[in-house]
Amino acid sequence: MKLTQDMTKEDKKMLNGIFWRSFTVFASRAGATKTHAPGFMYSITPALNRYYKDDPEGRREALMRHTTWYNITQNVGTFVMGLTASMEKKNSEEADFDAESIVALKTSLMGPLSGIGDSIFWGVLRVIAAGVGISLASQGSILGPILFLLIYNIPSILTRYYLTYMGFSLGSTFIERIYANGSMEILNKAASTLGLIMIGSMTASMVKFESKLSVPITGGKPILIQTYMDQLFKGLVPLGITLLCYWLLSKKVNVNWILLGVLILAIVLGLLGVV
Amino acid sequence: MFREAFLAALTVFICYGGNWLFGQTMIERPLVVGMIAGLIFGDMRTGIIMGASLEAIFMGAVDIGGALSAEPVTATVLATTFAIVLNVNEKAALALAVPIGVLAAFVSMFMKNVVMNLFAPLVDKYAEENRPRAIAVMHFSMWFINYFIFSLITFFSVLEGAKPVQQMVNSIPDNLMAGLAATGGLLPAVGFAILMRMLWSKQLAPYFFLGFILVAYLELPSVAVAALGIILVLVTSFKDKQLLDMKNKQKELENRPVVASGTTDSGNETQAEQEEEDFFS
Repeated sequence: MKLTQDMTKEDKKMLNGIFWRSFTVFASRAGATKTHAPGFMYSITPALNRYYKDDPEGRREALMRHTTWYNITQNVGTFVMGLTASMEKKNSEEADFDAESIVALKTSLMGPLSGIGDSIFWGVLRVIAAGVGISLASQGSILGPILFLLIYNIPSILTRYYLTYMGFSLGSTFIERIYANGSMEILNKAASTLGLIMIGSMTASMVKFESKLSVPITGGKPILIQTYMDQLFKGLVPLGITLLCYWLLSKKVNVNWILLGVLILAIVLGLLGVV
Repeated sequence: MFREAFLAALTVFICYGGNWLFGQTMIERPLVVGMIAGLIFGDMRTGIIMGASLEAIFMGAVDIGGALSAEPVTATVLATTFAIVLNVNEKAALALAVPIGVLAAFVSMFMKNVVMNLFAPLVDKYAEENRPRAIAVMHFSMWFINYFIFSLITFFSVLEGAKPVQQMVNSIPDNLMAGLAATGGLLPAVGFAILMRMLWSKQLAPYFFLGFILVAYLELPSVAVAALGIILVLVTSFKDKQLLDMKNKQKELENRPVVASGTTDSGNETQAEQEEEDFFS
């Protein structure tokens, strides 16, 4: 890989340290205001220890800088950790470096990186892995959970690793450029397309509704309402309810109310003998 | 019941705490939790099957930015424990998992956002005192405290709740049971809606319906849908990339006169940039 080519042994040692520590980044959560700051500070400690070895005051200031709110999808957050390491390096070397720009950049990248990270890892990769896993596990096969873990984790850990190095060597210009030239848009569109196809397919296979209601017919077998609904459009109720939930969410209705609504709806339908 | 309660709580601690200690590697998902709980209680097959059903129910229950709709670990462990140890009917155990998950999510969020706030001043204090090691120790202590307290819920639920739950399940009338079972069928809708919020746009909306029809009418397995989806995405991405390259080239041509009249330096720079871009494409 080209990325690691012109790095010194020390660089690699530091970045590997950050990579391994980054696994624990979300282990603690220091309340709603700092969230994962301790995890971030712990992860970049190898960089701080290296660049402020003979400058305790510098390290103190660096630690204090990073006590602010931190939250990025963790598999892509390592990019920011590598980037922070490269900026702390500059800060330790150049006297007139604006240290505040480190936090500013870190904070400004949280939104866009989490946006793409959440949709790729949560919306797409996990959904595909779970789809494969569920279909095997529902027959009782141990391959279900195992494949689920492999499909999700192999790409995510590789991403975590390479982004640590990319953040350090490419720096902030890289992100700016792929945003400016439109590559990010294509990536985003591709991820969203695949994600929506998978979610559509999961809606069909996992949201279930079957009505027991039937119309009695004199002298014949009663006709189930469900048969009519299936003839009209298969999975009409699951699709309708999913879209209704989406619409409510986009109207900024709190998700807990929606959850409660669906629970009550299902129980009431059960009590009325509809399901 | 003490032994079972301890084992169930241990499973929650390992799966929930472990997931966040080891980089969100998905060992907190019902598919995996079901298997582990099944293994511990000596009926892995039942655990895996229940895990599969619960994974579908909690598919959309994801912790994005600390907002959680339902907490899958406690729900899966309790449901599996009830089913295997107490011989509660599997359907009933699944139905119970849903309200448990919603309740557990409230507790989890209260712990992480409110209780753990106690430690926030310490973060500032240790930073000011220049003690990265103290921060590391606190980081892991917070992890332990949070998930230890959280797994106590499971411990006491099994210890004290086992008998009442069994009695309650036995006395649930049929139509209420049907309603509870239906919640398991409808609840994934909320989860998918949350995921859709991240991905939805007017231009891409048709793909959601494409995925729906591929399964509802063509009954394709999910591997086939994923493979078809990847092919489709590759084809459209190549086309998008071509269009983008054309657009970028056009922009460059428009800018060229300006560049030519300026220094030659900027010309070289764009060429270097171009090369780097080729490398990443």
